[in-house]
Amino acid sequence: MAAQAAATTFNGNLKKALAGLRRIDLEGLRWRVFDAKGQVLGRLASQISTVIQGKDKPTYAPNRDDGDMCIVINAKDVCVTGRKLTDKVYYWHTGYIGHLKERTLKDQMAKDPTEVIRKAVLRMLPRNKLRDDRDRKLRIFADGEHPFGDRPLEPYVMPPRNVREMRPRARRALIRAQKKAEEQEQGGSQRKGRKKEAKTEIAA
Amino acid sequence: MNKKEILKLAKGFRGRAKNCIRIARERVEKALQYSYRDRRNKKRDMRSLWIQRINAGTRQHGVNYGNFMHGLMKENIQLNRKVLSEISMHEPYSFKALVDISRSAFPGNKHVVLPTRKVNVSSINV
Repeated sequence: MAAQAAATTFNGNLKKALAGLRRIDLEGLRWRVFDAKGQVLGRLASQISTVIQGKDKPTYAPNRDDGDMCIVINAKDVCVTGRKLTDKVYYWHTGYIGHLKERTLKDQMAKDPTEVIRKAVLRMLPRNKLRDDRDRKLRIFADGEHPFGDRPLEPYVMPPRNVREMRPRARRALIRAQKKAEEQEQGGSQRKGRKKEAKTEIAA
Repeated sequence: MNKKEILKLAKGFRGRAKNCIRIARERVEKALQYSYRDRRNKKRDMRSLWIQRINAGTRQHGVNYGNFMHGLMKENIQLNRKVLSEISMHEPYSFKALVDISRSAFPGNKHVVLPTRKVNVSSINV
């Protein structure tokens, strides 16, 4: 496929992508590929963390790290619900007094979209001595290409999700927005007629 | 005499706790308390580990642990979790047979997605 082409397209973070691969012991592990395009952030991170811990294998043992290598692609296309794009804030303290820094999701995605998923997954792993090793098994790429094309990769199928139906207020807002978009598409000539239709529909 | 026994029990402890009797006595008392408590905890931990393993094994076949056990109870299969976890680790085909028995007895999960296959997922609520 595009293995060789892909391998040479990002020489910049090739070093980061292959960093520490030698430290990972067993190569009886599978390489799972997660496509983050259109996935909700937390739900994706939850599945990734289960796979990284090795909890989907019946040979799970809590004292040794047996998780599969996880590759996440299209990290810049990950979605969030609600107002989190502007309202979710990442805080960190530098150690100096008064220096609590913050950054919103929007800025973080502009700066480094892989960090969003990495933080989400890392915070879902148990805080023990295996956490760093598990972090090393996780490789995230913002685009759709990765330098591991020559390995035997397996795509991960996300389990089906029942999306709950919209709350009434949100639903009404959505309908209003749809009506507005339709009006703007149709143009000015039939405006008044359409507005009356829209108002009667919302009232009903 | 007691001193000798205590220092014998204190082998492998860190620092002065393995050599000096006053410190070793405290540490050995604590160690014996922990071992008393952990003999009981170990049973709980092992059962929890078996359940995690069974869960992982059944989810590979699209059934979760709760529905699986419910199906087995319905069929009056009295294999315990220890044996089930061993089967799920070492005898995959027998385990699949058990999962099929359980699923026929209690088809709990509607959204069945087998993780490694690329079938079309027809789930109800999406």
